[in-house]
Amino acid sequence: MAFPQRQAAIVGVYTTAQGKLPERTSFSLQLEAIKGAVDDAGLTLADIDGLLPMTLSDHLAGTTAHQFWAEQLGERPLSLVETGGASGQLAKAAAAISAGLTEVAVLFYGKAGQLVGPRGTAAPTDRAPRVPEWSYMQHGAYMTTWYALWAQRYMHEFGVTSADLAEVAVFTRHHAVLNPDSVMGRKGEITVEDVLASRYICEPLHLLDCSIDNDGGYAVVIASADVARNCRHEPVWVLGGAEAYYTDFYGTINDPWFPEGGKSVRKATDRAFGLAGITRDDVDVAGMYDCFTITTIRNLEEMGFCKLGEGADYVKEGHCRLGGKMPTNTDGGLLSNSHAGDPSGMHCIEVVRQLRGACGARQVPDARIGVSLQQGWAVHGMGSVLVMARD
Amino acid sequence: MTYLKPLPDISVLNRPFWDGLRQHEFRVPKCADCGDYGWIPYPACRSCQSENQEWTPVSGDAVVWSFSVVHRGPGAFNDEVPYIVVLAKLAEEPRSLIVTGNLIGVDPSEVSIGMPLRIVYEEVPEEDITLYRFTPAA
Repeated sequence: MAFPQRQAAIVGVYTTAQGKLPERTSFSLQLEAIKGAVDDAGLTLADIDGLLPMTLSDHLAGTTAHQFWAEQLGERPLSLVETGGASGQLAKAAAAISAGLTEVAVLFYGKAGQLVGPRGTAAPTDRAPRVPEWSYMQHGAYMTTWYALWAQRYMHEFGVTSADLAEVAVFTRHHAVLNPDSVMGRKGEITVEDVLASRYICEPLHLLDCSIDNDGGYAVVIASADVARNCRHEPVWVLGGAEAYYTDFYGTINDPWFPEGGKSVRKATDRAFGLAGITRDDVDVAGMYDCFTITTIRNLEEMGFCKLGEGADYVKEGHCRLGGKMPTNTDGGLLSNSHAGDPSGMHCIEVVRQLRGACGARQVPDARIGVSLQQGWAVHGMGSVLVMARD
Repeated sequence: MTYLKPLPDISVLNRPFWDGLRQHEFRVPKCADCGDYGWIPYPACRSCQSENQEWTPVSGDAVVWSFSVVHRGPGAFNDEVPYIVVLAKLAEEPRSLIVTGNLIGVDPSEVSIGMPLRIVYEEVPEEDITLYRFTPAA
């Protein structure tokens, strides 16, 4: 008999506190998240036999997180280890479950105390620090700069303005205001003028075009259908998923940047949607990696929800806002909910909560099919997509 | 004054590039089989996967592909804000070469996409290394 073909479902999700957590460690956030997601599923740690860590181990230098966590969680032989962005890892875990390689796997991340942005890099006093030889750090660039370069070129080619980008921050903050757990929701709604009046970080990106830079952890439990049917919540089925990569770590991004046929995100989306047997119009709710306002606009185009160059119009037409045809980043996203280190699993978690009908004031009525996108390295150097549905 | 911004940790594989900067040459791996240039340097040609590449000086002509005026810098860079990070598209073709660097010698408000640039060189005081920068061609 060949590999069985078994359905997989997301059965547990958990988010720790998000924000400034000076009393926490990355490890304790990860452990809390794992325990929390397993408990949300109605399972125990002994049920886990696959690990999807979103981080390296900081326990022993140079070791993988898989081995550290396999030992930490009870010195039991585990069956599946994966790497990649959250949606892609969950896609591969679903495929592994389908093929019979594992029954229950947990994706997890947690980060405390280290800032991702420029405030996290102190100036040396005695000698120039050494960095990898093609690193953009030699030029004073960092992730915000890289996305600013993407935004600048995009705005030039497609006639998009800073006010257009700001619309993304505005609708995403609106969602955060409706999410009591979001970091920025308590600061209230913002307007396009607020975004444009916030200080420049890297032109053309203002402070409010950028995600926040906080601590936090999360975990997601994915299981076979047999396990899922006996879990605490209704299963959120994985219908399809895929990932695609084409570029190295911020070394360069050669021309073309905006081909009609798309790049990594298009490829991952087409494959994931094909496996799921859905069309763009079937998506009720979306979670898309929104590290900067430009990212959401390009995500919408590259995923095929609108044409190249029309992402800003799509946002302005209100389609991403609650009440629109595809509410997007309903938790407030990375811009206004939480951006802790590698937050790509947060988009999956919010979509799962929407499909469970657990989102209170920000609930999308009758949400049945949801999509999450993880992307990275700007200009969509990598991407992964997960398609989820409830019965 | 001591240079406190990040410097490259140079590898044996890529030393010819850094040696080139010292001689005020910007060298790029050029495939001896298909003729394509490659940036950033990779061990084999990205077009035909040949390892038969030669470090070849480029003209030094470029244009602004994109740029960002940085107002909040990491580490020692924050003492120099605002500064300009540029993606410069080199004149060499057909495979595009987009090089990250700093753009100097121009007011940030004067920079535009497509602006002609050239490569210039900067010796780092107290360090045995030369860096490249971009500056307006005119």
